[in-house]
Amino acid sequence: MPPYERESDGNTMSDKIISLKGVSKTYKVGPSTVRAVDNAVLEIERGRMVAIVGHSGSGKTTLLSLIGGLTKPTSGNVLLNGTDIWAISDNELSVLRNKMIGFSFQFASLIPTLNVYDNVRLPSTFDGAPPVREDRAQDLLEMVGLGDRGNSFPAHLSGGEQRRVALARTLMNEPQLILADEPTGDLDEDTEGEILDILRKINAGGATIILVTHSRAVASQAEYELRMDKGHLSEKPAEF
Amino acid sequence: MKRLGLLYLAAQNLRRKPFRSFVTIAIVAIAAGTLFSATLLISSVNRSLEVGMERLGADILVVPEGSQESGEAALITGVPTSFYMERSVADQVAAVQGVDQVSPQLFIESLISSACCTGHVQLVGYDPDTDFVITPWLEQNVDKPLDRDDVVIGSLILANKGETVKFYGHDFNVVGILDATGMGADESVFMTLDAAYAMADESAQDAATALELQPGQISSVLVRVAPGTTIEQVAQRIKTSVPGTLAITANELSRSVTDRLSGFLKGFIVLDIIVWIMALLTIAAIFSMIVNERQREIGLLRAMGGKRGYIFRLMTTEAILLTAAGGLTGVLLGGAGMFIFRAVITASLGIPYLWPPLWFFALLVLGTLFLSVVSGVVASLYPAISSSRLEPYAAIRKGE
Ligand SMILES: Nc1ncnc2c1ncn2[C@@H]1O[C@H](COP(=O)(O)OP(=O)(O)OP(=O)(O)O)[C@@H](O)[C@H]1O
Ligand SMILES: [Mg+2]
Repeated sequence: MPPYERESDGNTMSDKIISLKGVSKTYKVGPSTVRAVDNAVLEIERGRMVAIVGHSGSGKTTLLSLIGGLTKPTSGNVLLNGTDIWAISDNELSVLRNKMIGFSFQFASLIPTLNVYDNVRLPSTFDGAPPVREDRAQDLLEMVGLGDRGNSFPAHLSGGEQRRVALARTLMNEPQLILADEPTGDLDEDTEGEILDILRKINAGGATIILVTHSRAVASQAEYELRMDKGHLSEKPAEF
Repeated sequence: MKRLGLLYLAAQNLRRKPFRSFVTIAIVAIAAGTLFSATLLISSVNRSLEVGMERLGADILVVPEGSQESGEAALITGVPTSFYMERSVADQVAAVQGVDQVSPQLFIESLISSACCTGHVQLVGYDPDTDFVITPWLEQNVDKPLDRDDVVIGSLILANKGETVKFYGHDFNVVGILDATGMGADESVFMTLDAAYAMADESAQDAATALELQPGQISSVLVRVAPGTTIEQVAQRIKTSVPGTLAITANELSRSVTDRLSGFLKGFIVLDIIVWIMALLTIAAIFSMIVNERQREIGLLRAMGGKRGYIFRLMTTEAILLTAAGGLTGVLLGGAGMFIFRAVITASLGIPYLWPPLWFFALLVLGTLFLSVVSGVVASLYPAISSSRLEPYAAIRKGE
């Protein structure tokens, strides 16, 4: 490996925002082991929009969590911008997640005790959060079409609305990397289109987007697709 | 960006489960309230004993045989009583080896409809020539000795300086009011022995009921022990050399109070310990529950960039909010309880009571609150730590 790839900052650094080196994640379930992700090797360049497809249970969410530093690989290394994220302290990793990554989860993921507005701005209130404009949360809510729902509580929103709020929150700290697990899961076609428009816009602004999807239409928006099959990661041409 | 306070998030979380929060607060309140009121009771009684015994000024009290109980009750809680013996007893006591000073006193129970006071009060006659308690006080506060028609009164007697009070048909001027002791002296009226005899003499004509009292009769002898001998030794000598009397030491008097108090509090303290342990266990159980049902949320907060310390602080803040609220409620209820039931408790136990000074009271309040909060933090420590150590992905997944 060329030495410059290990540099964690500066312009000499590779334009690889993500690099997985033989990453595996296994779970012990009773006597057997589940290989949720098996020896994944992956490099993604900054600014790409990539889709991950695969059957249910093939390990897509696990892969995304490994990339986002939400779970520690059983073996292998995860590098973000050249930094081995499991070689830094837990606090540093927290700050990195906060500043760099926007995670959009597969299932409802709002904090039920906070109203929509507070949910959106939550990431910007943590220790070490990057400075953002005071009215960004409101702007983001307007962008996802929920500008007038800031005072509502999550329980009073529909599933699709909650998903849009969660997307707005994902964008709060202007992350360079967006990891979206089925961002259009339970949305109608129109809303799906709007969400995709937003993601494309963000991508055009320079952010890298990795999205997991079961939808052909959504996957076709990506520059290329990755396929998960029983824990095995393979690249697959978009026109396949 | 305006901070989203941890305190706000914690309070919101507690609001979500109002019943559970209420139960936790209630248990802490019971634990804190019982502790607070018991401590308040103990310290008030001790303070009263301290102040009251100093006021009494004597090491030993000699009373006629058979009058021990009523004498103690009069001194400690001001239950009025009358009993008499011959004045010569004072001389006999004075002759006992190790006795430094003696002063006779006279206890007279007033009639029920004395002008100033509802119910009976204790009238105390003292001998200005030998007295070592009222006289020094008068010198400092009134700067003239008591006249035939003068009295000084305890702090609970409802009369003001300069007013007139009537006992056995005789009018007395109130020339001074003694500081509160919490003991019987607060409900006593002090006059000279001569004034008492004169009052008795006139009572045949002036009062509804005559006071049967012969000049020369006294009720008790206050004794001060000379340095170099122990109080117990001297009391023993008085018992053997002055027949028909009983020598009560100041220590015995205090001890009989503290014995009654600790008899009452024994059960209370056991109960309090049980309640504290229950409170700790409840908080620990509730926070384990909270951590379990909020795994997903905790995982989400971590995924968004919340540090371990943030999760830990969130959990402990919730615990602190609950226990501080519980502690405060306990202090308020315990304090109110003592305020309301003080009279019942002191009367039924026959113990004196004097509210502690403000600084002590404040310290007690702060101490109780502190203990409540520390208990909350300790009890929630394990759940708080384990929740902060959850791996974000595992937490999010488990909570699904
Ligand atoms: N904590 C865990 N313990 C045991 N097995 C797990 C755990 N997490 C994931 N798995 C297993 O790993 C495999 C991959 O799960 P994962 O959630 O990544 O799949 P997925 O591709 O996201 O599926 P879906 O499309 O249904 O969301 C599954 O077989 C799952 O049961
Ligand atoms: Mg999944």
